[in-house]
Amino acid sequence: MELRICHLYPDVLNLYGDRGNVMCLQHRLRWRGMEATVTGVSVGQPLKADDFDLFFIGGGQDFEQEVLLEDLAGGKADEIRAAVEDGKTFLAICGGYQMLGSYYKTWDGQQCDFIGALDLYTEGEQERLIGNFMFSCPELNGLNVVGFENHSGRTYLGSGVKPLGTILYGGGNNGRDKTEGARYRNVFATYSHGCLLPKNPELADLILKNALERRYGTVSLESLDDVLERNAHDSMERRLKQA
Amino acid sequence: MPNMMKLRVFCALLACRAARLGLRLLGRGGTDFPGRVALKLCPNLLGILAKNVTTVIVTGTNGKTTTSRMIEQALADSGISYFANKSGANLLSGVTAEFAMHSTLFGRCRYDYALIESDEAAFKAISRFVDAKAIVLTNVFRDQLDRYGEVTHTLDNLRIGVENSPNAVLCINADDSLCASLADEVSNEICFYGVNVPVYAARVQEVSDAPYCIRCKHEYTYDYVTYGHLGGYRCPNCGYSRPSPKVAVCEVSRSDAESSQLRFRLPDGKELDALVNLPGGYNIYNACACMAAGQVLGLNPEVTALSLSRFECGFGRMEQFEIAGKKLRMILIKNPAGCNQVLNFLRNTNTNVLFTACLNDRAQDGTDVSWIWDVDFEQLTEMGDRLTAVYVSGVRADDMALRFKYADIPVEKIHVFRDNKSLIDAILAQNEPAYIMPTYTAMLNLRNYLSKTYGFKQFWE
Repeated sequence: MELRICHLYPDVLNLYGDRGNVMCLQHRLRWRGMEATVTGVSVGQPLKADDFDLFFIGGGQDFEQEVLLEDLAGGKADEIRAAVEDGKTFLAICGGYQMLGSYYKTWDGQQCDFIGALDLYTEGEQERLIGNFMFSCPELNGLNVVGFENHSGRTYLGSGVKPLGTILYGGGNNGRDKTEGARYRNVFATYSHGCLLPKNPELADLILKNALERRYGTVSLESLDDVLERNAHDSMERRLKQA
Repeated sequence: MPNMMKLRVFCALLACRAARLGLRLLGRGGTDFPGRVALKLCPNLLGILAKNVTTVIVTGTNGKTTTSRMIEQALADSGISYFANKSGANLLSGVTAEFAMHSTLFGRCRYDYALIESDEAAFKAISRFVDAKAIVLTNVFRDQLDRYGEVTHTLDNLRIGVENSPNAVLCINADDSLCASLADEVSNEICFYGVNVPVYAARVQEVSDAPYCIRCKHEYTYDYVTYGHLGGYRCPNCGYSRPSPKVAVCEVSRSDAESSQLRFRLPDGKELDALVNLPGGYNIYNACACMAAGQVLGLNPEVTALSLSRFECGFGRMEQFEIAGKKLRMILIKNPAGCNQVLNFLRNTNTNVLFTACLNDRAQDGTDVSWIWDVDFEQLTEMGDRLTAVYVSGVRADDMALRFKYADIPVEKIHVFRDNKSLIDAILAQNEPAYIMPTYTAMLNLRNYLSKTYGFKQFWE
């Protein structure tokens, strides 16, 4: 079995160590004897969604945002919307998460239209939500996800989208409704850096299973030696619970 | 000064010294708190103390401390009366405290020159009070995004600081497209410096912190890259390109585990050989920045060149310790660009290496440890058997261990230590040359342990 992973804008959306998620997905496939190819698709390169099983979109700096929006408007946005509806698996983080929504409105009222693949929108506020955080995730049988958030945008989910989890410590989507991230078809979206997947291996495997099953039908993943993963996860979980 | 003001300055200086003395008696090296006390009593204290002092400010993301230590040696070797904020106190309060400690209680500085390393975010505040003669901008890289924000934000802070310093001559790294772009926005006299040749035989895979033109957002092309986003850049769209440096490193004839041998080209066209007694390609940049500062200050370049071969490195900046005949080098890490340069350095050595990383996540380290995933630790696996083991420690040791696992370091080579003693004992039990890479507070903590246990000097001494 193999997965073809597409890393969108790896040279631009590469803040906060998000590329570690791609490394994690790739390693966890290989450790199970499966193949994983990673292809970067950046500004000016055409995106053919049919060529891939799993898409990763990270967060970036504001400076390059115009470059991206122009590039997305040149065809990639349509491909991404179609791929989402087609049930392709996506992991989108922070800026990438916001970009899948309808728009971003800055705190001084300027609106920037995004891809519109997910029924959600983001509004900027001057105060950033920054810090280690934790949320429970119903799809992970009671396991909590730990990570680090750093965003000024407040994201609000529409009726067609579910949250990825419920905030236990930290701000999450908007600091108000206790939701964190978004789930829609096979899209996983979250504010969590950290890096997210390495120390939340169950979430990594859930995403992999999702992508593998879309391509191969029912798949069961053999368990791996996750001692170091668990240590990194548990030390942060303990620390947040003691805080 | 009116009498009331004199009294105020006197009280502030007295309080600052008392606070510092109190901390020393407690065995602590606090440099920030005394400054805060003084500023509370006299908010303009720095302006008053710095008034008649010729001040050189060194700022930027990476290389501030090492560049300052090089310039310091050049000042000393030139017979100039100076003081420097050596202890790493580089915020407004710490810099104020340093000026206070080097002034009389009546507010007169006892030295002609002040050499000030300034935090890049604090620079705009410090520059409001100090009329610098020269400002050295080392570079701008992504650093502790939870604290400094994006690179363009850091650049804005530097610009504001320069605007506060209309009389300063700027020494700007021509190879950094971000820093060099400031030249168009200010009217200061500028001395560009740069490295005309590659500095590493082999380099890590790095993400560029500035792939798109700062002026028009078109992608740059490069004639050559030294490291990170530094090198000979050119924007094919708007024509923005690396300015020609007045002070240049035109040749690197040798760069090994101990030092680098290089040749400068000076503004008058003369060439000058120099030995830099710290290894690593990034220290070639620091040496070049020092030579540029020396030019601006009117120092004899031959004296400056000699200073580069004999300066004392800053704490934890490639600092070497010898314990029971065994050599350790401590190399501060704080962001992907700096950490990648250490890996570049290690990759270009040829001995076995025992590698240690100590990761803390306190405010001064950056509370977000995500950046370790942007570092190309995969380079370590390419060292093969030359890498004998990887030790990790610090508050976030478990995150660090996990990072190494995903860098394909065999897990049996990865060892986690929960305290300084067990870590240092384990390092000393091995025969390999040891390189310890701690984040800032982990470095202070480890240095403190080494000082107490083996009698090395404390960071404030």
